[in-house]
Amino acid sequence: MIDPEPAAPPAPIPAPPRPLRALDFARMTSRSFYLQALFAPERQQGPGFAFALLPAIRRLYSGARERGSALARHMGFFGTHPVLSGYVLGVAARLEERRAQGIPIGDAAIEDAKRSLASPLAALGDPLFWVTLRPLAGLVGILGMTLFPLADRVGPDLRVLVCPLLALLTYNAVALNHRLFGVRRGYARADEPGKLLHSLRLAPLRGFFERVGAFLFGSLMVLTLWPMTESADPAGLGFAHTASVLAPFALGWIVSALVLRRWPGRCVEIALAAALVALVVSTRV
Amino acid sequence: MLPELLRVALLGGILATDRAAGWNLMLGQPLVGACLAGALLNPGPEWELWALRIPLGVGVLLQLLLTDPALPAAQRPRDAATAGVIGSSVAILCLERVHPFLSVTTGGILWVLVGTIAGLLASVAGGWMEASLRARNEISARRAEELALEGRVSSFEALYWGGVGRIFLRGATWSAAATVAGVAASAVLLPSVARFVTGPRAGLIFAVLLGVAYASGFHTHVRVFRRGLGWATMGAVAALLVMLRLHGGGP
Repeated sequence: MIDPEPAAPPAPIPAPPRPLRALDFARMTSRSFYLQALFAPERQQGPGFAFALLPAIRRLYSGARERGSALARHMGFFGTHPVLSGYVLGVAARLEERRAQGIPIGDAAIEDAKRSLASPLAALGDPLFWVTLRPLAGLVGILGMTLFPLADRVGPDLRVLVCPLLALLTYNAVALNHRLFGVRRGYARADEPGKLLHSLRLAPLRGFFERVGAFLFGSLMVLTLWPMTESADPAGLGFAHTASVLAPFALGWIVSALVLRRWPGRCVEIALAAALVALVVSTRV
Repeated sequence: MLPELLRVALLGGILATDRAAGWNLMLGQPLVGACLAGALLNPGPEWELWALRIPLGVGVLLQLLLTDPALPAAQRPRDAATAGVIGSSVAILCLERVHPFLSVTTGGILWVLVGTIAGLLASVAGGWMEASLRARNEISARRAEELALEGRVSSFEALYWGGVGRIFLRGATWSAAATVAGVAASAVLLPSVARFVTGPRAGLIFAVLLGVAYASGFHTHVRVFRRGLGWATMGAVAALLVMLRLHGGGP
C-alpha cells in the first residue's frame, strides 16, 4: 500500500484589502499641499501625486513590493492645477481600491482616468486661479489700503496686517473649499468624471471674478487719484499746477501701458528703466 | 542685525515653501510677504511713524508690478515670493542705519523706492535660481522612482520630505543673503550720493514708478479680459459717485 502523498499546505489566502477610511482621505489631503515639491519639467507633479496617494496605497496593499509597484505606477508625468489636484487623487484612490479588491483594472485604465480629469482641471483651473483669482485677491488687499484710512496718524499702521489678511481671505475662501474636500468628492464621484467637472462650475466662476477684478481696478484708480489730486495743489494754484504734479504719474502710466501691449510680462524691466529715466531727467531739469 | 536676519530667513523659507512646494495659500504674494516682513522687523520707537507704512508701500508696488496675467508656463521666471520680504527688509533695515546720513525729509517715499527696486532686482535674480532647483528636482525624481520600484517606500518619503526642506532652506538662505547684499549696497551707495538724494527727486521717481505699477495693474485686471474696460469704467464711476457723495464736491 502506497502511502498517500502528504497534502500540500493550502496556499495562504490573501487578506481582503481594507477599505479606505476618513483618516486616509485626510492624510492624502494634507499631502496634496506638497504636490509640487519635486516639480521638474519632465514629470511635473508626478512624484508629488505618488507621494500624496501613499496613505491610500499603504492602506490597500500590504507587501513592500506591491506598495512599491503601486507607487511607481503614479510616478510618471502628471500635471494639473494644484488647488484641484484632490479630485484626481480621489478618483485614483477609488480605482486603486477596486484593483486591490480584485476587480480587473489595468495600469492604462488608471492612467487614462487620471489624464481625462487632470487635463480639463488644468485648463479650467489655471485661468481661474492663476490669471483671475490670485491677482484679484492682491487687488482686494491693495484696496484695503485705500478703504481703511489711518485711525491715528502717529500710531502704528494696522493696515499692514489688514491688507494681507484681506488678500489671503479672498483667495482662500474659494481655493480652500477645493483643497480640503477635493479628495472626498473625487472618490465619491469617480465613475462620473464629466458630472464632477460640470459640478465645479469653474468657467462661470472665472467670468464672475474677471468682471469683479476689472470693476475693482476702476474703483482703485479713482480712490488713488482722488487723494493725489487733493494733495497736489494745497496752495490753490490752479489746474495747470495740479496737472504738472500729476504728469509724471500719468506719463509713467501711459508709456508703460503702451510698452506692455507690445511686450507683456516685461513689467520688471519697464519699471527699472522708468526709474532710471526719471532719475536722469530729474538731474537735468 | 542677526536676530532680524533670522526672522527674514524664517519668513523667506515659509513663503518659498508656499510658492514652490504647493501650499499655494497666497502667502507667497509680494503684498503679503512685504507686510509680514514689516510686521516682524521692528526698527525701534523713533521710526514708528514709517516702520509699518513703508512695507505697505513696497508691498503694493511689488504686487502690481510682479503680478503677471500669463499662465505660469508662459511667465518669465521671477521669484515674487521672496521679493516682497527682501524689498521690505532692505527698506526697513536701511531706514534705521542709513537714513541719519541723508538730509532728505520725505524719507517714507525714499525708502519705499529703495525697497521696491531691491524687490524687483531680487525677483529677477531669484528667478534665475529656479533653473538650478528644477534640475536638482529632476535628479531627485529619478531616484524616487528607483526607490519605489525597489519597494523602499519609507526612503521614498524621506527623499520627498528632503525636497520640501530644500525649498525652505533655499528660500531662507536667499532671503537673508539678498537682504544683507541690499542693505550693504544701499549703505555704500546712498551716503556717497547724498547730495543727489532730494525729496522732489524721490517724489518724481516714486510717481513714475506708481504710474508703471498702475499700468501693469490695468494690463492684468482690465486689458486681458473681454469687456474689462466697460467693467473698469463702471467701477470708476461708482467710486467717483461715492467720493463725491462723501466729500460733497470735487477733490
